Amino acid sequence: MTKNRKLIPPAIVLGVLLIVVAIVYFVDNAGALPSFFPGHQAGSTHHHAKHGIAALLLGLGCFVFAWFQSGPARPADA
Amino acid sequence: MHDPISYFQALVLGLVQGVAEPFPVSSLGHAVILPRLLGWNIHQNDQFFLTFLVATHLATAIVLFFFFLRDWMRILRGLGRSLRDREIGQGDVDARLGWLLVVGTIPAGLLGLVLEHALRTLFASAASAAAFLILNGILLLLFERWRKRAPAVGDELGDHDAHMAQTLTFRQAVAVGTAQAAALIPGISRSGMTMGGGLLVGLSNEDAARYGFLLATPIIGAAALLKLPDLFGSAGDGVRGPALVGALAAALTTYFAVKFLLRFFETNRLTPFGIYCIAAGSICTLIFAF
Repeated sequence: MTKNRKLIPPAIVLGVLLIVVAIVYFVDNAGALPSFFPGHQAGSTHHHAKHGIAALLLGLGCFVFAWFQSGPARPADA
Repeated sequence: MHDPISYFQALVLGLVQGVAEPFPVSSLGHAVILPRLLGWNIHQNDQFFLTFLVATHLATAIVLFFFFLRDWMRILRGLGRSLRDREIGQGDVDARLGWLLVVGTIPAGLLGLVLEHALRTLFASAASAAAFLILNGILLLLFERWRKRAPAVGDELGDHDAHMAQTLTFRQAVAVGTAQAAALIPGISRSGMTMGGGLLVGLSNEDAARYGFLLATPIIGAAALLKLPDLFGSAGDGVRGPALVGALAAALTTYFAVKFLLRFFETNRLTPFGIYCIAAGSICTLIFAF
């Protein structure tokens, strides 16, 4: 896997955004979600916790990706 | 008031779940078809049945984890090493296998989280499960036909984890992992899709099976843990006793099924399971139609 340090800032930004999205899903019910969020349903009191978990996992994945990109530059993957 | 699921039904469904989860024949498909065949008043979307399935799946995941405990310990140590070093070291097969499993689990997990309810509702009937069982059988036969390489003498020898880590690329791991999501449809087998995917990218039958079991463990375990509160909440009332029986039965048969399959795939192929799925799916489709 070749390293590209230019990818670190966008990966961190994306990770933070996804964590924020996850928190919104955990805190707000479907009726209170922003209308552009998947799962938004006016008047619904259902919590889309699974959407939140998905966003959280993706966010953590972005952080892990950034962490590996910040490592030593020698190629490690054939 | 009688229990929504009897102890006998729990025992039978647990035994079947334990066998059908590691076998490439769709445990969910069997769990949907069997009650209909036996005339039991159990349906896939009944809350008590979903709660019951949480217990049997958790038992399956625990048995799979402990069956491959030595592999998991190596993999977890490898993951830790790679995180510490911020790279996968040259020749560190445990770390590489660990990250292959992680990137394979992510797409299936995400698709499962987002699509599980919709697909379960859409394909809830035993008739559709029987039809998808036929499709599963056809896919298993096609996987064998399209496999990257024929079985070779000595496939069963050597370090299987190293074989898997050296054969799979990360892109292929994502593809194999994504294929798991097809198992959200009752009738399509998770292990069948991962074993088939493994064959397509050049793994032997035994390594494909082993990789499929390793890949299945976190996803089955996480899905069961996510719904565990249902079992201990009000949805679990009247189900916890049968669920325990079902879980113990599933644990027992999962252990022996995995042991059998790893031996079976040293020298055999997916073909018998493909034929079984086509035959069983066809017979059930005819029974449900008339």
